[in-house]
Amino acid sequence: MILSDLLGSDALEADGRRVGAVVDVRLEISGAPAQLLAATEVTGVLVSPRSRFSTWGYERRGETAPVLIARLQRWLHRGMFLVGWDDVELVDEGRVVFRGGYERRDPMLPPSPRT
Amino acid sequence: MNDETVQRMPQPDPRAPRGRVLDAHLHLLDRQVLDRDGTPVTTVDDVELDGIELGARIEPGSPAPTVAAILTGPQLPMRIFGGHAPARRRVAIPWKLVASVGTTVRLGVGADSLDASWVERWVSGHIIGRIPGGRHDPE
Repeated sequence: MILSDLLGSDALEADGRRVGAVVDVRLEISGAPAQLLAATEVTGVLVSPRSRFSTWGYERRGETAPVLIARLQRWLHRGMFLVGWDDVELVDEGRVVFRGGYERRDPMLPPSPRT
Repeated sequence: MNDETVQRMPQPDPRAPRGRVLDAHLHLLDRQVLDRDGTPVTTVDDVELDGIELGARIEPGSPAPTVAAILTGPQLPMRIFGGHAPARRRVAIPWKLVASVGTTVRLGVGADSLDASWVERWVSGHIIGRIPGGRHDPE
């Protein structure tokens, strides 16, 4: 499937309750070694309870400038969480369903080179 | 190693990242793709993920999906206005050709070897090349 099919999908708990929308997919370059870059695996999905889109990632990084935009973005995406791929039970058209007892994890990105 | 030493050693977090962590939308979409010589090739319009079957229950412990390719082509209007470009209109650059991801996505191959640059090659050969002086550098 393609990424844009997943972005904006409803994020649902096992009982069907909507908890937000998938705004991004977390990847990790840590799979099988290859000639150039190791295989890149999906490790989770980021869910925002209040918005279907997240473009600048202020809520996932320590960026604080420009202050007004940073505050607005953090406010807009307050409550965002990461759900590990292990806790994803089903991906269907327009919806992603989590397993019962799934864990809401911190969405912050680990420090890395500025990109 | 005695019991006391074992207790003092921090337990590794099994969920700690084992490599570079990226967010697909944030770090990949709309980034410029450069070939191994730094020549612009295209931009990342979408990303193809392998290992996700729509509507099928994912068994616990199943292998994680992987990034298969960067997609380019007429994807941008679809993201703005919705809908899908037909799969045949998408041009895929296999992820195994990607050398690094930073402000730009760098490939490990030359642009001439990619389908993504065929439009530029065609325009260069059929249009620019027919203009007098169009086949050599300015003097």
